[in-house]
Amino acid sequence: MNKLKLNYTSLSFLPILVCIPLGYQLINNIHFGGFKLFQDFLISAFNPKIDNEIIITVIKRLNETILIGFFSWLVSIIFGAIFGIISSNIFYKIFNIPNFFYRIIRFFLTIIRSIHEVVWGILLMQIYGINFSIGIIAICIPYIAVNSKVFAEQLETIDYKSFESINQINAPKFSSLLTLIWNPIINTFKNFGLYRLECSIRSTVILGLFGIGGIGTSIFLSFQTLNFRELWTYLWSLAILIILSGLIFKKIKFNTTNKILSIFFISVFFITILFSFSYFLYFIFNNNFENFNSVSSLFKSSSDLGLFDFLKLVLETIILSLLSTGIAISLPPLVIGIFNNNTSKIFIKIFAFLLRLIPTPVILLTLLTFNNPSVSLAALTLGLHNAGITSKLLFTNLDSQDKRNYIAMKSLGISKKTSWLLGLFSQQAKSYLAYCAYRSDIIIRETAIVGVIGSVGLGWQLQESLSSFAWQEVTLVLIAYSSIAIVGELINGKIKNSLT
Amino acid sequence: MNNNTVLELENISYKYKNDLILNKVNLKINSGEKIALLGKSGSGKTTLISILNGTIKPTQGEVKLFNKSFEELDRKQKSKITTIWQDLRLIEDLSAEQNVNCGLLAENNFYFAFKNLLNISSFKKAHKYMKLCRLHTSIYDKKIRKLSGGQKQRVAIARSLIQESNILLADEPFNNLDPKLITTIKNLLLENVDKNNTKKSPKTALVALHRLDLLNDFDKVIGIRDGKIFFNIKRNNLKKIHLEEIF
Repeated sequence: MNKLKLNYTSLSFLPILVCIPLGYQLINNIHFGGFKLFQDFLISAFNPKIDNEIIITVIKRLNETILIGFFSWLVSIIFGAIFGIISSNIFYKIFNIPNFFYRIIRFFLTIIRSIHEVVWGILLMQIYGINFSIGIIAICIPYIAVNSKVFAEQLETIDYKSFESINQINAPKFSSLLTLIWNPIINTFKNFGLYRLECSIRSTVILGLFGIGGIGTSIFLSFQTLNFRELWTYLWSLAILIILSGLIFKKIKFNTTNKILSIFFISVFFITILFSFSYFLYFIFNNNFENFNSVSSLFKSSSDLGLFDFLKLVLETIILSLLSTGIAISLPPLVIGIFNNNTSKIFIKIFAFLLRLIPTPVILLTLLTFNNPSVSLAALTLGLHNAGITSKLLFTNLDSQDKRNYIAMKSLGISKKTSWLLGLFSQQAKSYLAYCAYRSDIIIRETAIVGVIGSVGLGWQLQESLSSFAWQEVTLVLIAYSSIAIVGELINGKIKNSLT
Repeated sequence: MNNNTVLELENISYKYKNDLILNKVNLKINSGEKIALLGKSGSGKTTLISILNGTIKPTQGEVKLFNKSFEELDRKQKSKITTIWQDLRLIEDLSAEQNVNCGLLAENNFYFAFKNLLNISSFKKAHKYMKLCRLHTSIYDKKIRKLSGGQKQRVAIARSLIQESNILLADEPFNNLDPKLITTIKNLLLENVDKNNTKKSPKTALVALHRLDLLNDFDKVIGIRDGKIFFNIKRNNLKKIHLEEIF
């Protein structure tokens, strides 16, 4: 084994050191008042409430979740593709437009992307009130920007020589553009589109916790009333939805050579654009912006937030991101490596699935039953949830990997754990770290969710400022959030590039 | 420039980073002339072709097509040149027939491009040229990445032929082709044919070659070395000494 691979391997484990300060603070913050509640929460998982009434509620709530999730996905994937095209350099090459515009659009999309859908949701709810369509809009805004980045990245892979060749034919510009981008767009949709639908449904659940509707709202209400049996009914039904949708997605195959199907997709594309624009206009002209009448205070009012407090919140958010990322990176390989047998693997997979399934606010509220609010607790929550996601990827990659090295090492008498580390994991470490770099972008944005619930960082301040209509503070917090996310994305981009 | 000149290079130089790829090249190509471009790998043949078709701009000098500089020409005028690239430059994810139909993009509107991608456009013309290039019907709807080197080569040639342009620039177009096919393809490339496969009008062609046994059908031979034209002579005047200069 060469030295370089050992470095990637050790880098995957090193971040677990965050557990030292984290553990210290968590132990100091333990309180015993809520252990009974925590126990009830765990027991209820095996005894969910099942009766006619709750089944009807589940169906109704899931229906709402699917509708919000589906429509926000449809709109965000279509507009994501459009923005992806106009933020890719191939568009500017074909139309001979200076790259300056492309940088402006990309920067604008980066800012929009840097703010989590929950923040958009809370912000829009504060302005427009609770509304079914607010959920769709709140998800669509950052998702369009996220999707556009993925589409643009794929369009960057277009062979420059193909561009030169089409360009030399001297076809009309739009014909050249369409011919060049068609397959990268279709392939991105095939590989990435359905995953984004799953993300949309998850985001709908999270937004539901903040009152948008759907199953998320039911989960939150049952948690607030400490009705854990009901809560688990909702969580298991959500699990069934996610598993079923995963199975359906695996079966779906897009055949672009099927003419009828192609025409259907194109019709959906144009109808969605038309409907979105119509709805946007309707939304603008039919809202009286009752709650936004204090917009003028954005420029007039002075903020009560002192510089020191503000910097403390920024620092808290950064620490929260770093600690969570550390857990999300190192925990999965560490646990899989230590408990390296088939039975443990099944348990780890179930546990990871539950961590992915249970929305972060619910995990945090559960942990708050026996621990005081702190940065460490919020970091643990976010870290565990994301470890559930990174472990899924790690399991998938390890399961599909050639195991000959591992078997050869074991046959030499090397221990099972060492053989796993050197014969299996070391081959995956580099790509695993690259994915974790991408994941840490998301973790930075997700600090807003745990911040709101867990009284830490800028997320908490945002909630407070919005509740008191302190728009200047809101603006300040959003700028700070955006800046942290953008700097984080730049750093992670550099890390990803060095790893791929 | 006389009235017969279709393409002209005036004092063309091209620099890439610190390397001078073409050095003060002057060249006139008259209508109906068939010119073979000879030179070693890296001598500047591909760059010369790329400058002639307007893909790259020279660092110095001017390119004229029909007595007008490239900047003055509209899209339709520029599309009178067709190129077969050495690296083919086909779109890998599209089928063979879709790639050939791409040659028709210049004379059609956006809707045609759309239909081509959806596979609902007419492939009649594409099939005609694919057949002329001896491509079997079974590969018409196959993706480019699934084809052999020789099949890809013929798809690229069919895409060029379907443009029915009067000026052909080709960079090693006979690569990957077996000897039997070379004669057929060479005739297709150097002569315009009508729908009955009979010769129509003379075609202007500049073809970069490695193989000297293919020179018989050319009127002139240009030798290039280190970015400079060493000779530009009638084929009948080509002597061993000329070849020794460039190879």
